[in-house]
Amino acid sequence: MLNNIYLPKMARIVRVKQETGGPRPIKSFRTEFVNGDGFDHLPGQCAMISVFGKGEAMISISSAPHLKDYKQFSIVKTGRVTTALHGMREGDIIGLRGPLGNCFPIDDWKGKNIIIIGGGCGLAPVWPILQTTHANKKDFGDLTLFYGGRTSGDILYRDEIEELRGEVNIQLSVDAEEPGWEEYVGFVPSNLLDKKPSPDNTIAITCGPPMMIKFVIKNLQQLGFADDRIYTTVENKMKCGIGKCGRCNIGKDYVCMKGPVYSWADLKALPQEY
Amino acid sequence: MAKLDSHDVYMPAFVDDNWNYVVIDDAKAAGLDFAKTIHSPKNIVFPQREVMFTFEQEKGGAPVIAQTIPDPRPFVVFGVRSCDAKGLTLTDIVFSKEYEDPYYWARRNKGVFVGLSCNEPPDRTCFCVSTGGSPHGEDGLDIQMTELADSYYVKSFTDKGKRIVELGGSLFSAAAAKDKNELEKVHAASMTHQQRPINNLAGAPAKLKDMFTAPFWDEKSKACIQCGICTFLCPTCHCFDMNDEVSSSAPLKGERVRTWDTCQFPDFTMHSSGHNPRPDNASRLRQRVCHKFQYFFENHGVHQCTGCGRCVAKCPVGIDIVAAVNGANDYAE
Repeated sequence: MLNNIYLPKMARIVRVKQETGGPRPIKSFRTEFVNGDGFDHLPGQCAMISVFGKGEAMISISSAPHLKDYKQFSIVKTGRVTTALHGMREGDIIGLRGPLGNCFPIDDWKGKNIIIIGGGCGLAPVWPILQTTHANKKDFGDLTLFYGGRTSGDILYRDEIEELRGEVNIQLSVDAEEPGWEEYVGFVPSNLLDKKPSPDNTIAITCGPPMMIKFVIKNLQQLGFADDRIYTTVENKMKCGIGKCGRCNIGKDYVCMKGPVYSWADLKALPQEY
Repeated sequence: MAKLDSHDVYMPAFVDDNWNYVVIDDAKAAGLDFAKTIHSPKNIVFPQREVMFTFEQEKGGAPVIAQTIPDPRPFVVFGVRSCDAKGLTLTDIVFSKEYEDPYYWARRNKGVFVGLSCNEPPDRTCFCVSTGGSPHGEDGLDIQMTELADSYYVKSFTDKGKRIVELGGSLFSAAAAKDKNELEKVHAASMTHQQRPINNLAGAPAKLKDMFTAPFWDEKSKACIQCGICTFLCPTCHCFDMNDEVSSSAPLKGERVRTWDTCQFPDFTMHSSGHNPRPDNASRLRQRVCHKFQYFFENHGVHQCTGCGRCVAKCPVGIDIVAAVNGANDYAE
């Protein structure tokens, strides 16, 4: 019998954490495989999450590969499957198919400085890079995180970020003034221009709302970052996750297979259809 | 026709006002005097709807899933046109590559495809030669039959095909030199019939790539009513949707179902946020044309159109992929 790539493996939700509120709340789910099943992943890879009776949604794995006990997913409540997920609790069983997609080429970045630039829920796909590079600090240069939310209440992983201070250069921002906020006020791309990180021997990775990514890339280029030193992740509607169902393509590339991770040098060669 | 007890036999039959492949248990409606079946035999290996697995979950319990890989009897499809057989070789690529699709191959591996050469183009929308094919092309076939003056010339290419010919036994006799001569003449003549031309097929991928943002697509796609028939009848279109269908909520019981889908539907690519990378007719027609004549070629070195003409013949508003490719090739900003 051929291996059936469409069959999900069962995983138990072991922790649910409300990350943010508002009309599009984010929850982080930690899951453990059951029945001795499972799979390993690389930073940036995704999984198809099944909520049986509702369907599947492609979600990036927001925990680093070396954290073997669980896989974490940080999920915005937005569609049929994610709304159902937001109603689930510890102990509930979901299905996982994966690992799907390519990964950040972290091994190629050894010896380099790493700057991660995230906005809102866009921190989730790049968080495994920070966890991985931080856990192997001696292999990399300086680690920096630029991260912003619309308000301080929209900031993901606040406790985990605070724990990294001192070892990672943390640059947080909110879009508008609010009482008690002592860090940068303004959009993430502006914070980047304000702090002017050096492009020397440095890789920049960005993920967030499309408009933010667009201006982050523009500003990185202005700061002197070469296109092949800038990485981002792309999302598109997906069903199969394995390059067959036909909907996530940008030009010749199925994002579920060739992506979600792209260098800007590669992504800009594809048609503007994402 | 000799009875093949070991196989289900599909043949073209005129049912409900259309020629289509049906399993023959009574040969009344079946025949080989058909022009073109409304669907290609792709449907037999990649059906419109199929259950991928069932799930069942007691409240508080773990879901139990059971895969439903098909296990069909071996089957023979009789009277396959070369364009449609070539189409199978293209869906084979899609359902292989990095991940084998077990549902597709469970059927595909059981099938023997017996071709019927087109001595004349079955209708005026044919353009197989223009896509690099041939009215007597062998790609994707196990056996090819060509109608001669008073017999059929039969070639078998694969082990599966040879076995079917063996099962036919006395139905077949060895071809003589004059039969081979006649075959060559018939095949040569079949290439001389006028078909709709595609100008500069080889240049199409680069040209299409260049004109991604051209207003051309807007003009060509204005009439589209987003019915998707161009893709649902296509022998190479493979896009699908996967959804859960629930029959009981307590205990939860249901099926994960795969159904055909189409790039011509607006919600095909729409994100849950409402953002849609292909939000209009222009981007969706461009996707269909570029997938077939640019992207697939860039990925696999072969065009994903075999010139069967169904999308041209059946489009309710007259959108014509040959005209689109030719228009693109001739387009000047």
